[in-house]
Amino acid sequence: MEKSVNAIMPGLCARVVVNVGDKISAGQEVAVINCMKTEISVKSEFAGTVSQVLSKEWDELQVGNPMVMLEVEE
Amino acid sequence: MLKIINGGIEVLVEDWPGRLGYLGKGMSASGAFDNVGLGLANVLVGNPSGEAGLEITGGFLEAEFTGDHVIALAGTDMQPTINGQPVAMWTALKVSAGDVIKFLHIAPTGFRCYLAVAGGVDVPAYLGSKSTCIFGAYGGFDGRALKPGDEVKFGASSADLSALAGRKLKAEAIPQYSNEWVLRAIPGPNTCPDYATQEGMDLLFSRVSKIQHTSNRSAYRLEELPASFFARADGGVGGSHPSNIIDHAYAIRGALNICGNTPILLVADGPTLGGYMCALNVINADLWKVGQGAPGRDYMQFQLSSQEEAIEERKKQKQWLSEDSLA
Repeated sequence: MEKSVNAIMPGLCARVVVNVGDKISAGQEVAVINCMKTEISVKSEFAGTVSQVLSKEWDELQVGNPMVMLEVEE
Repeated sequence: MLKIINGGIEVLVEDWPGRLGYLGKGMSASGAFDNVGLGLANVLVGNPSGEAGLEITGGFLEAEFTGDHVIALAGTDMQPTINGQPVAMWTALKVSAGDVIKFLHIAPTGFRCYLAVAGGVDVPAYLGSKSTCIFGAYGGFDGRALKPGDEVKFGASSADLSALAGRKLKAEAIPQYSNEWVLRAIPGPNTCPDYATQEGMDLLFSRVSKIQHTSNRSAYRLEELPASFFARADGGVGGSHPSNIIDHAYAIRGALNICGNTPILLVADGPTLGGYMCALNVINADLWKVGQGAPGRDYMQFQLSSQEEAIEERKKQKQWLSEDSLA
């Protein structure tokens, strides 16, 4: 089952810190957003394997935009 | 007391009107970025409208109450829950020891939510205010945003808590939020014809400008102005750019600083002086709208106002942030 990890703030993508194929745990940081002149960590709610990276540095983001897709075991 | 489980993006203790009287020492007033949200939340729980509450920016606060209290939430609807059950905004709510309150992200409109508690937030007043100046790292709770493990004390309320619970606002007292905020403003002190062209000021008062993602409690940056905005070729003895002037005091909160070609609204924790021209001032009664504007998402437009309107609107706001607004 595929789940997305979404932007939690409007801003610019500073970086995505995972790659396709990485196994990640719930609560792990997957990306960082620049907003309010600070860096905001985006963490995954789920454990899983990264299937797609949808954001890159400088992408403009709104709340809810998917940044990373995960294959999550049901 | 409130035990912080997750401090979310930025949660600060703020009151209103903040720390006044220290601009000459280089200390901004700080205070609630949206004083209407804080004020109405305080009215709901029977506090003076300027009592200190929690300013929740962006969302994701999670915390546990350790006693019985009456609280109110006002501002953007971050889909708050208590023990997993959705709770109402703009309403006085009874909470009990062990209850866990949790917020999600910002709603499609608005950026900040205020949590007021009957009795107020009990932190020491520093230079006459409980407000946090986050860039100066003083005031509020240890001069910083709340983090996991913090225990925020509340004051004792003189009101009967059971009588407060359930209080609501009149529908017309709930502020209307937007993605395009109209801010009434007075031109000056550095305007046309000496510093800006007439066409430049017309542009400033007619265009709609996106709030840049780099905006925060110090400054709200807007889109750049064209070179034709400026009446001068350079800043003379003030500097090489026409936005430069000899250092002067800034009329914060609400001055629009022109820094290079970038207009920057100087707000809660903004700088108190500097060497850039200031083209207009947002009227005090509209400052709350700046605090609900989301960086990277919302837009702002200035509308020409006058000193007379500014004074009248300030009086109306005082009435708005009173028990007259209760249903």
